[in-house]
Amino acid sequence: MGSGISDAFDMNAGDSIGELPGKPVEVSSNPAEWLKKNLFANIANTLLTVVGGIATVLVLRGVLNFVFSEERRWDAVRTNLRALMTLAYPESQYARIWVSVAVLVTLVGLSSGLWANWGTIRVQRLCRWGMSLGGFIILCILLREPSVLLDSNGIVLRDSFSEPVRESFSSAMMSRSTWWIVGISFGGSGLAGWYRLDSTGRTKTVSATSTVLVPLGVLVVSLWVAPYGHYAYSDGLFIAEPGERVALSTSIPWTWLYLLLLATMVLGRFVRNSDLAGIAKTLVNVSWVISPFVLYWVILRDPDFDYAHVVSTDLPMGLLFGFLGSIILWWLTRSTGETARIFAVCLVGIAGFNWVAAAFGWYPMLQKARISFLLLAVAALLAPNFVGELAKRKKLVTYWLTTMLLVHYMATTINSPSTVDISSSEFLGGLSITLFVAALTIMFSFPLGVLLALGRTSKFPIFRVLSTGYIEIIRGVPLITILIFFSVMVPLFLPRGMELAELAAAITGYTLFSAAYLAENVRGGLQSVRNGQFEAADALGLTSVQRTGFIVLPQALRVSIPPLVGQVIATYKETSLLAIIGIFDFLRVANSAIPSQTAFLGVKREGLLVVSAIYFIFAFTTSKYSQRLERRLGVGER
Amino acid sequence: MADTARSSLTQSRPPFYRDVTVVKWVVQIFVLAVVIGSMFFLASEAGDNLRASNVPTDYDFLSVNPGIDLSEGIDRDPDTGGRALWVGMVNTLRMALAGIALATFVGVIIGLCRLSNNWLLNKIGSAYVELIRNVPLLVQILLYGSVFANLPRVTQSVGPISGWLHLSNKGLSVPRFHIADGFYQWAIVVMVGLVLANYVRKKRVGIQDLTGDDTRPIRSALLVLLGVSAVGWFVHPVFGFLNTPLRQISEGISLIPQAAVQVALAVVALALAVRWVIKFLDARRSPAGLAKLTDDDYFRIIFALAGALIMVFVVLILWPGLSSWLLNAVSDFFTVLSEKFGNGRSGRPLDVALPDVIQVGKFPNYGPSGLNLSIGFAAVFFGVVFYTAAFIAEIVRGGVLAVPRGQSEAANALGLRRWTVLRRVILPQAARNMLPPLGNQYLNLAKNTSLAIAVGYSDIVQVGQTVYNQTGKTLPVVSIWMLFYLSCSLTISVVVNFFNVRTKIVER
Repeated sequence: MGSGISDAFDMNAGDSIGELPGKPVEVSSNPAEWLKKNLFANIANTLLTVVGGIATVLVLRGVLNFVFSEERRWDAVRTNLRALMTLAYPESQYARIWVSVAVLVTLVGLSSGLWANWGTIRVQRLCRWGMSLGGFIILCILLREPSVLLDSNGIVLRDSFSEPVRESFSSAMMSRSTWWIVGISFGGSGLAGWYRLDSTGRTKTVSATSTVLVPLGVLVVSLWVAPYGHYAYSDGLFIAEPGERVALSTSIPWTWLYLLLLATMVLGRFVRNSDLAGIAKTLVNVSWVISPFVLYWVILRDPDFDYAHVVSTDLPMGLLFGFLGSIILWWLTRSTGETARIFAVCLVGIAGFNWVAAAFGWYPMLQKARISFLLLAVAALLAPNFVGELAKRKKLVTYWLTTMLLVHYMATTINSPSTVDISSSEFLGGLSITLFVAALTIMFSFPLGVLLALGRTSKFPIFRVLSTGYIEIIRGVPLITILIFFSVMVPLFLPRGMELAELAAAITGYTLFSAAYLAENVRGGLQSVRNGQFEAADALGLTSVQRTGFIVLPQALRVSIPPLVGQVIATYKETSLLAIIGIFDFLRVANSAIPSQTAFLGVKREGLLVVSAIYFIFAFTTSKYSQRLERRLGVGER
Repeated sequence: MADTARSSLTQSRPPFYRDVTVVKWVVQIFVLAVVIGSMFFLASEAGDNLRASNVPTDYDFLSVNPGIDLSEGIDRDPDTGGRALWVGMVNTLRMALAGIALATFVGVIIGLCRLSNNWLLNKIGSAYVELIRNVPLLVQILLYGSVFANLPRVTQSVGPISGWLHLSNKGLSVPRFHIADGFYQWAIVVMVGLVLANYVRKKRVGIQDLTGDDTRPIRSALLVLLGVSAVGWFVHPVFGFLNTPLRQISEGISLIPQAAVQVALAVVALALAVRWVIKFLDARRSPAGLAKLTDDDYFRIIFALAGALIMVFVVLILWPGLSSWLLNAVSDFFTVLSEKFGNGRSGRPLDVALPDVIQVGKFPNYGPSGLNLSIGFAAVFFGVVFYTAAFIAEIVRGGVLAVPRGQSEAANALGLRRWTVLRRVILPQAARNMLPPLGNQYLNLAKNTSLAIAVGYSDIVQVGQTVYNQTGKTLPVVSIWMLFYLSCSLTISVVVNFFNVRTKIVER
């Protein structure tokens, strides 16, 4: 599935279409003409401009005064930054967090190097961004009201009406010199570029990658030189040293991560032009899919293997399934025939019966044996597609062995206790748990959503009624009721003796909810596949499974990429509801953990603002990036 | 020739396990059995577990005093669990309806801003949409809530406009328009006015069509309505006589035996199903005779008949109380209505009460006379309104952009003014594109009000949670939530569909 989408993206990744082809290059007009045309075209327009301008100034001024007010306790957020990201992950094992980030950075770097589909940006556009950013900063400097004066004890000075005394306008402007420099340098460079370049120079392009990497590099370098202040919380002690540089424990990892990003990007570029490109892409795709599991259960949770049990039970079982399964699959793929199908159906029956037995507790069996049986049945069902040449049969066996290795390793890992020293039940919290839940939800709801969409469009009435009913019921009720249902009710539904962690219950609820919406998006894509495609597939003599898998779904998914990306963003935003059902995601940290610390009693708005900013940055960049991809690949236009 | 072909076909019929029809139905029935089986299994497990923990699943709590206080609503101290949930439902509906109205207003304005040629307005619109759309609603609600909670405290002379508009950490208090004594009597007059106005409008339109003069039908109809309402404001006590006939209707309904209603409902269910089947068969009948019915068609027919039979079973045997409940509800409705008439009602139909500040005990607080928006209500309300408005703005923009450019060019060529082009040509066509996604957004808004639980506004979810925390009846409460939201969704989709059908292009 992952590779299907990436392949769709990769269709014309080779050529670098930057902007829309049909878009005319704007001829530069002088500022007066531009103002007249865009702001003061006629009386009504002028009136609107004035009203809009006043409203903007008032709102912007209110926001600035709110954010930079002397009442704001931004040190609460700075001190608790670590809590916002990872909650109470122990200091002694913090290297694991950095390793996880490094893994993600590596994957990002490799993918962007391998696919290289970021395109280019016109210099003209960069100049415009510089001018707008500079202008915006200068406007903000002018609009913010002068700050209050403090006496020697750091208490706000008040006049006879007990209003705070503010410094004069001119000294306020002087004290914002750093911001002046930043604003003028942005605006000035944009302006200079705009007027220095002639029309051919302005239409020149630079790669989008460098427009991202250079500012990131500047930020990383500034960690070493700029006095951001040193804030920390350790052993119940709050450290706040404004004016210092950030601690080395922050700047060193970020510098390494930046270098790692550069290196992996270069590596990706290098591999892209070699023969290994195909296999590297597959590997990166698979790594993306398994990364949440590996990061959470292997790297961050650090399993404490019981080696006696591993050698006596886990390893033999894995080997047994791996080798016996390989032999069975090898035998099934020797030639096309009825036997293979009948055998596969029998396997499905056994696998299904295993689960019924589990439900009624008839005979004990390790859960992973049941899962392996089920996977073997699925592989057997797929076997007819791998009949024939030796290479194909080898491929199936390789897939099988890799899957078994991963499944049995992960199952053993999940069953082992954690070595991370933490008192609460959940060892992770904050932003990391938000991202983890979002990743798992998207991953699990995708296949379920596709199945539901196929069910809803299928010719089988019972399937259609079942999927339609499910989708409509789920879409008719709010997410929060489903989450409460799952966090409160799931313990009741399970057979006695079986337990499901709170987080698992929440992810189940999210998955079931998100799948219904995803199904509707995929259904839109399915309906856009034209009838001729079905008829052509039938004319070729494909079975209905082959037709769906190789002809219909790839086209449908390609069309539904834009709504699917929208669904991904929606899912990510919905993870904020974790805070309501009592999981410490970063919204809950900002909303209830920080305000209950004695040093920052009731300090809530600062944390919430930071949380909104983080949500905004993730969601906004994702949507802009996907829009860029859509435009460049013409998704939805063919 | 044909015979041999057929016989060869029958001879080469595949074995049953490869026969498409057989496999298709076997697989479907198997999956259905698995789904029903696992649901049955889960339900039985839940039943066992509930019995083990001594929490039987029943709905008795609906008529027992839950002993909870609600933060706001039509009844702060409900007598029964059912009443508490009802208050929650009313709160949800109130928030959803007000939210839909304001969100549409804000959304249309922002959407028009985004379409404007004016650079500044355009940028304001884009900034609004991008900022609001990319921050989760829950975060916004919490942020608004914490900002409102830090407003100044209530004092006896609280601002900004003392006596008219109060804003403090207890919320917002503004003058309240409310229904007074003579409202229902006056409503009768207004209804008569509506009929008259409609008649005048039709007449005027007729004259306009005939002569080509601008007779201003809408304006004259509004004038008539206003005139009649104004007269009715003073003469409405005349309709006090309606008290007696309404009470008689109510008494008459309560005389109907329950069995008659049961039989009537059963007959209606059966008749509807039979009518549907007949129509269904008619649709498949052509001059050449009845078309061959597919499996699917049989399935639908069986489904319709089975549904009707289940309804009959429910009405007659499973839940006879439904019929008497219906009877009582209708009869009560007329009783309540009759009490609104007569009894010396001669006051103003509508009245306005200014907000007040009272001091019971130590701290001053808003009194009951003004329209008070609590902090919780304001946070959720502005949260859902701003959030939904961003999506509505995008829908408006998309809808307008989807109108072919030729339409506005043609309208310009006719010499219509800009505003007329927008009002008469662009927006009506855009509305057609906008309706289905707009309905979706209204639905989302209604569902999103459930986030009120985060700031403690007493909506259905928050009240439900309080109730099941008190009584332990989680499953019944969850089932009531689901039913409530599903019926809201259904209502909104029915309304939207109605307008959708009305605005659709008539195709031949």
